[in-house]
Amino acid sequence: MRILIVEDNRQLADLLAKGLKSAGYDVDVLTTAAEGLDALSMVSYAALILDLGLPDGDGLSVLRELRHRKDPLPILVLTARGGLNDRITGLRSGADDYLVKPFALEELVARLEAQLRRPGQILGNALRIGNLEFDPRNRQATIDDEPQILSSRETAVLELLMRSKGRVVSKKQVEDHIFGLSGDVASNAIEVYVHRLRKQLSERGAKVQIHTIRGVGYLIGEEKL
Amino acid sequence: MTPVKSILSRIVFLHVIAVAVTSIVMSLALSWLLNVATNNIHSEAMESQASSVARHLSINADGQLSLSLPPQLQGLYSQPYGRYTYAVIDEDGRAVISSLGDHTALFPADPRSSTVAFLKSRRGNAALSGVSIRKVLNGKPYWVQAGEDLANGDVIIDDIVADFYRNVGWVTLPILLALLGIDIAIFRRALRPLHDASEIAKHISPIRTDIRLPVAGIPSEVRPLVDAMNQALDRLDKGFRVQREFTADAAHELRTPLSILTTRIDTLDDQSVAEALRQDIASMGHMVGQLLAIAELDAFVIDDDARADLREACAEVVQSIAPLALQQGRDIALFDNGQPVWIKGNSEMLRSAVRNLAENAIRHTPEGSVVDFTIEDDGTIRVLDQGPGISNEERELIFRRFWRRDRSQSGSTGLGLSIVQKIVELHKGTIKVRNRPMGGTEFSLSFVKVDPPSQ
Repeated sequence: MRILIVEDNRQLADLLAKGLKSAGYDVDVLTTAAEGLDALSMVSYAALILDLGLPDGDGLSVLRELRHRKDPLPILVLTARGGLNDRITGLRSGADDYLVKPFALEELVARLEAQLRRPGQILGNALRIGNLEFDPRNRQATIDDEPQILSSRETAVLELLMRSKGRVVSKKQVEDHIFGLSGDVASNAIEVYVHRLRKQLSERGAKVQIHTIRGVGYLIGEEKL
Repeated sequence: MTPVKSILSRIVFLHVIAVAVTSIVMSLALSWLLNVATNNIHSEAMESQASSVARHLSINADGQLSLSLPPQLQGLYSQPYGRYTYAVIDEDGRAVISSLGDHTALFPADPRSSTVAFLKSRRGNAALSGVSIRKVLNGKPYWVQAGEDLANGDVIIDDIVADFYRNVGWVTLPILLALLGIDIAIFRRALRPLHDASEIAKHISPIRTDIRLPVAGIPSEVRPLVDAMNQALDRLDKGFRVQREFTADAAHELRTPLSILTTRIDTLDDQSVAEALRQDIASMGHMVGQLLAIAELDAFVIDDDARADLREACAEVVQSIAPLALQQGRDIALFDNGQPVWIKGNSEMLRSAVRNLAENAIRHTPEGSVVDFTIEDDGTIRVLDQGPGISNEERELIFRRFWRRDRSQSGSTGLGLSIVQKIVELHKGTIKVRNRPMGGTEFSLSFVKVDPPSQ
């Protein structure tokens, strides 16, 4: 899978390329917005890692140009500006995700994979936490490589939580995911599904924990010993 | 003189003085002119009377001077109240003929001094005014005097003069006042571009330094001021831009090397010391972020129209910080009624304030305890931890930049609470700290509530 990095700091770009290569990606490195746009029109990349501070113009203009072309390419923006209005500007201009420097390589790879796993994108790898694995392609959960049978609602909740590994999923997001626009959701329905899923997972020996963040939502993580 | 600031009131003030002076001077001048004119009319009338009396003078056979007035003229001089009078004076100054009962001259002045003289005299209640003309009969000169009693009730000319003040004099005042009104209207019109320019100038602020005053229609007298003002704005604009660019550049220059360092460590073959180094870089990155936040806040001004949903900002922060809290063995909870709470402010800044409070609370609450966030409808957010609390001496200190209770403790920059305080200050809100009765600290931030934005 080929990833393009457009970052004017050669040192950082090369280090990122090295890191991504060891994570199994093919990487091209370019240092200007113009070169980047040229390369993107010739090569079909799986994703773009874009620095916002480029010598020949703002990375935001590259973003706008790509979105203007209706390019569905996942774009992960890197920026040194963590300022009050920068985040909003970046996301509104069409970035799929946003990382403020300095960031851990692990974090970059995780965010990149989250983007590549989106519907319509290439990556379909199984999601894994502890001994629990979930394969989004056939929506199959396994614990210690043993396939598990869960109800469709429980599967839907698990899928959403696993896809958002490391982040809190709001109750509203769970509702939308399970019920869509069909409306009428009993006020405690989500709690009930999460409770059942939690019970099922712990009974079957999954070393994961579904945390309830009161007033906010749910978060799945590895069980602490 | 009292200082009058507005041009318009100066004009009105001076104009009122001008109107007063003008109406007085004009009345006096007009009445003087009227007096002169009436005097002329009177003198001409007297002269013609004297001439007509002189025409009827003759010398009879015995050499005596005789006057045979036609009946209509006789009637004129025989009025009981003696309005008109005449007398004929000879060479020796004797009154030969006189319409006055006592046969005296009308005027005591020497009548021979001039051909036509304008004379005045007082006789009892009467104020005589008239002329004297010379007439030669049989080689002898005579002077014919004709006079009118000006004190007589039938004299209309004086009445006209007296009426002038009442009738004509007061007419000038409204005319001058009307003129004043017109002047004010003209000035208002001339000053309108200035008024418009000042309306535009009201919108100039640190967040809108791009506004310039319009020069079209500005009177040329004021134009230098407007031009100078616009040039001053250019310089200010540049100053603000330099400040903003510096913050952005500094961020880039500081964070990119940190990023290189992180990535270099991440790609090291020997990962044994990597975790410790990563932590060091993370706290340094955090410090850089906090410093930049402070630099940015110092130059930041909140738009008057900016409004934010306090609940949403808080929920977002809790959502994003929950994994960190759980990782450190702390729980986190948000209490609200699910309804948006709209306040005046910038949502990104609110997030920054809540995030800093949250980080502070997670750091101080003991492992296994909960940090609670509550949102109230009046625009207040409370963050409650179960930590050691804050002593009275520390109340002020905690908001100081770089203050830390335990300087050996890593992870804290000592900047978080000063950022919170600065943000609350920019929002014209209030910040309160108190110790909870059952232990722990409660920070409460109150903001200015606004109506929800119309959809």
